Amino acid sequence: MNVLSRQKSVYRKLLIVVLSTTAFALLLAGIALAILDLRSYRQGWIAELTTQADVLSLATAPALEFEDPSSAQAYLDLLKAQPAIIGAALYTANGALFATYTDGDHADLAFPRIPELDGFRTARNQLDLFKRIDSGNEILGTVYIKARYDIGARLRDHASVLAAVLLLSFGITLLIARPLQRNVTRPITEITKVARDVIEKRDFSARAPRTTEDEIGVLVDAFNGMLAEISTRTEVLEKSNRDLAHEIGERSRAEDALMASEDRLLALNAELESRVAARTSELEAANKDLEGFSYSVSHDLRAPLRAILGFSALFAEEHQTELGDEGRRKLGIIRRESERMGRLIDDLLAFSRLGRKALQPVSLDMTALVQSVIERLKRDDGACRTEFRIGSLPQSRGDQNLFEQVWLNLIANAVKFSSKRETPVVEIGGIVHEQEHIYYVRDNGAGFESRYSARLFGVFQRLHRQEDFPGTGVGLALVHKIVTRHGGRVWADGKPDAGATFHFALPKEEADG
Amino acid sequence: MTLAAVFAIAWQPTGFAQPDRHDPSSETRLKAAFLYKFASYVEWPPQNAPGPGAPLVIGVMDADALMRELSEITVGRSIDDHPIEVRRLDPSEPLAGVQILFIGNRRGSQLDTQLLPTRRQPILTVTESRGAISNGSIINFTVERDRVRFEVSLAAAEASRLKLSSRLLSVASRVHRKAK
Repeated sequence: MNVLSRQKSVYRKLLIVVLSTTAFALLLAGIALAILDLRSYRQGWIAELTTQADVLSLATAPALEFEDPSSAQAYLDLLKAQPAIIGAALYTANGALFATYTDGDHADLAFPRIPELDGFRTARNQLDLFKRIDSGNEILGTVYIKARYDIGARLRDHASVLAAVLLLSFGITLLIARPLQRNVTRPITEITKVARDVIEKRDFSARAPRTTEDEIGVLVDAFNGMLAEISTRTEVLEKSNRDLAHEIGERSRAEDALMASEDRLLALNAELESRVAARTSELEAANKDLEGFSYSVSHDLRAPLRAILGFSALFAEEHQTELGDEGRRKLGIIRRESERMGRLIDDLLAFSRLGRKALQPVSLDMTALVQSVIERLKRDDGACRTEFRIGSLPQSRGDQNLFEQVWLNLIANAVKFSSKRETPVVEIGGIVHEQEHIYYVRDNGAGFESRYSARLFGVFQRLHRQEDFPGTGVGLALVHKIVTRHGGRVWADGKPDAGATFHFALPKEEADG
Repeated sequence: MTLAAVFAIAWQPTGFAQPDRHDPSSETRLKAAFLYKFASYVEWPPQNAPGPGAPLVIGVMDADALMRELSEITVGRSIDDHPIEVRRLDPSEPLAGVQILFIGNRRGSQLDTQLLPTRRQPILTVTESRGAISNGSIINFTVERDRVRFEVSLAAAEASRLKLSSRLLSVASRVHRKAK
């Protein structure tokens, strides 16, 4: 069907299909008719010739019997009336030629020398027939007839008739194909035209006219429906494209704004940082000034305080009698408060010195340190009832004198705040963590409100009254300062009347293991 | 009916037993064969027709050579289931039971007396003498252009109540009709 697929027009394809079908059917019918006709021609012709031979044999039997060739000849000559018979002959019973006949065109016809058995054979468009002549019980001779048997001419006749019929059918088919085109191919052609318009002009509003109710009509409807659908979709798509383009524009504008604001932010950050750095350095300078100031103040305050203490001692010694009880009591208050002031000044000095002094870190045996501190406390206070429980304490690195102060402050604190218990217990221990060593001092003393825990480590910050628990309020600030100078941290847990735990952690150093 | 016109055709059969005037035996042989074959073309009236299985009798007078020939060729032959019986007859012998009677040419002047007993009798008379038809013979052999032919008298046949086949007449050299 290469021919079909090469054709670009449906009309031509249909025409080819119709014409080839017609031709094929006619050809088959023609061949069948020709075969039938040739068969009946052959059978009819053979039957006719056989009859002819029978008539001849009946008529010529006496001529053969009475050896009268002229009579036989007269009968044979009657064959002139049948032009399809080319020649005929009579043979005697002995097989000798008795009489012959040829038509005008075949005067030189060669007859078989001896007759053959009854029957016929066809060769080269000729049919030979032999027929015995007998008289009931005796063979008298043989009739021989040679006739035309022109199958070829007959076939040619058939072929020319078939060709004429084919031509006529083609003509009629072409005439019929016109309305066919109107009904079948024109709607298709119109769809094709509309489709081409749609493709070339991108005009989705075009519609193919519906003219038939068959599959092509359905096709037209489907095509129009598709066009409508495409047109809707295209509109939606174009709208969404416009929206998208708009959105992209907005987004890029927003991005630009964002980048600008980021730049501003960076500038602001840099400015802030520089401002922070400036402030920090200012603050550090101020701190230094403050520390220097407090040191010199404390240092300078010690001389007058010493004078107050010395002279009040002298005053009490030399004017004991004139003073009286009341005078002595008031002088005692002066002396106690002055001593307290001296301690405050000492603590302040120690505290401010801490910021100025360079650290001298060594390996610290915390257990030994704690034990020496406890021994010192017990020596100072002979009536100490506190039970000390010391756990294992990991070694660490730090300034020996400073950590002695740390332990002293923490343990003294614990002893002080648990002193009002019947059985005061102070527990000291350490925990080895991944990156730091944590040490703690726990007592079962007065405790504190946990929300104030941050205030514990400020200078002069106190949670208890001087009357309940005396102190300067510098100890824990000192601890905080020492530990933080060593890169560690401090914190405290506690509940009122449920004791307190003070922790400090020091970073693990590689040498500690 | 005459077929004289067709003799003009140049025709020379090769294997045909052509009679030869120098060979009387050939002519005799042909006449004997014809005589036997005539029986097939003749229908006898019931009174002289051979009964079923009964022989068909051919009587021969004054022709010994033909008699011998005929006896030879008819041995074992039959016509319509009737065996052939060849009987030698003298002029004085009765003709009862004879279907065909051949009278030779030996005593030509006596032919009319020889034929006389057969007149109006259902016997096919065959002769070989010139003018025999006028003497009452039904079939008479002639020799024309060296060929053995025969002439037939329909009037005589009719008088004898014999029916001759028209096919026999078609090969006769001459047919004498009764109107003559």
